[in-house]
Amino acid sequence: MALVALALGAAAAVAAPVGAAVRPTKFDYHITTLDNGLTVILSEDHSTPIVNLQMWYHVGSKDEPAGRTGFAHLFEHLMFKGSHNVRSDEHLSMISSVGGTGNAYTTEDVTVFFETVPAQYLPLVLWLEADRMATLRISQRTLDSEREVVKEERRWRYENQPFGLLSEILYDEAFTTHPYKHQTIGSMEDIEAASIEDVQEFFDTYYVPENATLTLVGDFETDYALQMVEHYFGRVPKAKKPVPRNLPREPPVTRSRRLTVEADNWPLPAVVVAHPITYDGHPDAYPLHILSKILSDGQSARIHRGLVYEQQVAVSAFGQGVIIEDPNLFYAVALVQPGRTPEAVAAALIAELDRAKAEPPGDGELQRAKNQFARDYVIGRISIEQKGMHLAHAQVIHDDITTADAEFDIFMNVSREDVQRVARTYLRDDNRLVLTILPRGSRRAGQ
Amino acid sequence: MRRALAARVGALVLAAVVGGPWLASPASAQRIDWPSEQPPPPLLRRHVDFPDYEIRSLDNGLRVVYVGHHEQPAVNVRMILRAGAAADPPGQPGVASLVGQLLDQGTTTRTAQEIAGGIDSIGGALSVGTARDLGFVDVLVMKDSFDFALDLLADVARRPAFAPDEIERQRNQVLSGLQVSYDDPAYVANVVFNRLVYGFHPYGMPQGGTPRSVRTITRGDLVAFHRTHYLPNNAVLAVVGDVTAEEAFTGVERALGDWRRGPLAPAATADNIPSPTRRLVVVNQPGAVQTVIHAGHVALPRAHPDYLAFDVAIKILGGEGGNRLGSVLRTERSLTYAASADIAGRQIAGDFMAKTDTRSPATAEALRLTVDEIARLRRERVRERELRSAQDYLAGSFPITIETPNAIAAQVLEAILYGLDLDGLEDYPERVNAVTVRDIERVAETWLQPANLSMVLVGDASVFLRDLPGVGFDRIEVVPLADLDLAAADFRRASRFRR
Repeated sequence: MALVALALGAAAAVAAPVGAAVRPTKFDYHITTLDNGLTVILSEDHSTPIVNLQMWYHVGSKDEPAGRTGFAHLFEHLMFKGSHNVRSDEHLSMISSVGGTGNAYTTEDVTVFFETVPAQYLPLVLWLEADRMATLRISQRTLDSEREVVKEERRWRYENQPFGLLSEILYDEAFTTHPYKHQTIGSMEDIEAASIEDVQEFFDTYYVPENATLTLVGDFETDYALQMVEHYFGRVPKAKKPVPRNLPREPPVTRSRRLTVEADNWPLPAVVVAHPITYDGHPDAYPLHILSKILSDGQSARIHRGLVYEQQVAVSAFGQGVIIEDPNLFYAVALVQPGRTPEAVAAALIAELDRAKAEPPGDGELQRAKNQFARDYVIGRISIEQKGMHLAHAQVIHDDITTADAEFDIFMNVSREDVQRVARTYLRDDNRLVLTILPRGSRRAGQ
Repeated sequence: MRRALAARVGALVLAAVVGGPWLASPASAQRIDWPSEQPPPPLLRRHVDFPDYEIRSLDNGLRVVYVGHHEQPAVNVRMILRAGAAADPPGQPGVASLVGQLLDQGTTTRTAQEIAGGIDSIGGALSVGTARDLGFVDVLVMKDSFDFALDLLADVARRPAFAPDEIERQRNQVLSGLQVSYDDPAYVANVVFNRLVYGFHPYGMPQGGTPRSVRTITRGDLVAFHRTHYLPNNAVLAVVGDVTAEEAFTGVERALGDWRRGPLAPAATADNIPSPTRRLVVVNQPGAVQTVIHAGHVALPRAHPDYLAFDVAIKILGGEGGNRLGSVLRTERSLTYAASADIAGRQIAGDFMAKTDTRSPATAEALRLTVDEIARLRRERVRERELRSAQDYLAGSFPITIETPNAIAAQVLEAILYGLDLDGLEDYPERVNAVTVRDIERVAETWLQPANLSMVLVGDASVFLRDLPGVGFDRIEVVPLADLDLAAADFRRASRFRR
């Protein structure tokens, strides 16, 4: 859940009632960089004798070469297929045999590997992560077999799920140039095309210490843990070349568009209204977060209340700002209530967005949104895994670990006028995409 | 829906024990000097106990659990009641669920919008709902709103209004939701599997009801269900977070002390749950790119003395620290993204189920391998090393299972709900480690009947149906998805009736 929140939004950082008695506890951490460029963050938490390790590689699906969509994620899978001292698939069995859990995920911006283990096994997880960072071994046979697993994942997670292809359809329409146009899972065709040379090139380019951030949160002494980190990671060689950062920029959208498409596995008509917005860390990102809350957090928020509860034109409806490393989208989705038309639903959604431009939110509404942020902030920092995620996100995406705490005050200071201003700046008539997605065959059927 | 939009794509659901072939070619062209070495030994282990908690009972029979946690200024109040779908009136699936959904849609003192506005404006969260064995109300607030949380919880649990217009609103939501669910192969496989395993017992019917049953539920049904099951002596409440024990118990007494106890309805029995019978049902969904595969049968209730050993056995089949299914179907054969097995231990019965998803043309092979692994678990003694690995995971993960206060409370609530010995929370690692190879053999013999499996395939039958006899599966019942009727013995609706 928290993982998803992070993947979708900028730092899940946030606001409390101004001057309220409750204030989230701040992080206590230590940050350093090894000689080979590896960033290391350590934060002690002795409440339970466990430790969470996260290794964030600053590479995601937006960094994939042309014709290789899905490659960053496929590569993530390959990281479990063996290295110099670890046999294929042995990584996770070693973790589970000590009572730990581990996994990994890939987003547009990052690839994250993580383990939570009883605290005495900290050396084991450090050793495992260092071994694969330095010496991953992949054969053609492994690549071919894991490719099939990833294709099954695409079928299972997207193709065979009701509405599973929503993001793929939306982003393909909304973007022309920036790689956010394609989904992290990639296309079947591109997954099929990945070669062993691609694997080697990707590993040498992105899986290097200077492109990685290691975060440890849990029951350890910082000095001793740092010595262990030095021991296992200090021997990983420095990168031979700089990590490329030269993504194409998405040109500004200057006209509104409306279109209707059909999709498989699509039980009910859906309407999506989308606008380009800014990136995580931009000053406008904070009021955009607040605006998203006002529109869509809770049953009393505007979109649910208006479309689902009062007008009953939608079965469900929500909106969100996808505030990530590069500029992405704000979008709202509504599933059309049987008996209602997509046109009516689109009009109702647009009316809610227009209202945000026409007048600033009420004081109570703004306060509600800030209180909801404070809640998310507080309950999103309870487990050591959540803590590690906030620290790593601040460092990797903002390049400033202090934002893990400092954004709280920024959110607290967002004003009604800020919210109206960003609504006017980004939710414009001339950059709007209105996409209607119908069940396959419904137009032919004359609906 | 929101989850489906998440950009994150995970790698592995379950670990596989058996490794693939040793791989020789390094991905990195640059030769580096790297030592060959064994994994490092662990550091000193810190002893860990199950964290402190406190239980008291009010005079009206409400049991109250307190778990303190003071790192963040939040407090969670959650109530569970024995008011789950298992208590649905016979032939009326969906009543318990609709009651649960309507709890926060207006009380005799607050409208639905006042409830939503109230909880949202303080930055809290309210969730209500129903599971198989329980109904729940869960309120999360910052600590300065603790009294508000208790009052809100008391109001929605005790005094839902069941206003006619709110009933219709929720009914429409449920019906639209079911329309989407019937297009979701995972949902379809689950509800068909449950019907096969539990027959027409309430455990066999879909929790949310069927479109036909949901249309016929009346306000009277809802009011009667609520009056019968939402009672303090049928509930357990937990206060978790940044308040003291005294604040917790005093607050609960104030908000819920005057809630009157009532006579408890007789608990449902396991009488009409059929014994395991081999059936293979194919729900045909033309055009599907994957087939959902479920196989299992009825097993044991949560409180049964064999539960722990059987849980370990099923972990070896398809869980963390083991997972033969994952090794065979994913690691060796690349047929799936995930294969697993799990047990559902409920109040009056339980089941085990193996599941996977595979590309349509591989359906017959994947089903064969799944069923073979179930049979092997019963036929062959498990190896000591495999048992050790499952035990190491389950016992070793103990400190992780008690990390958060909500996880601690959930374990205590579960124990109370199912009438388990609370001391069992503390000595869980010892009990897991006491399981022997012989125990696994015995529970597999007692509780596994590989010849009597309920098997469900949801997918494009035209791709795989003809392959099934070739791998040993005959007597196949094929049901078109469009005709699926969970209330019919053969799952097919009579043509002129709506499902």
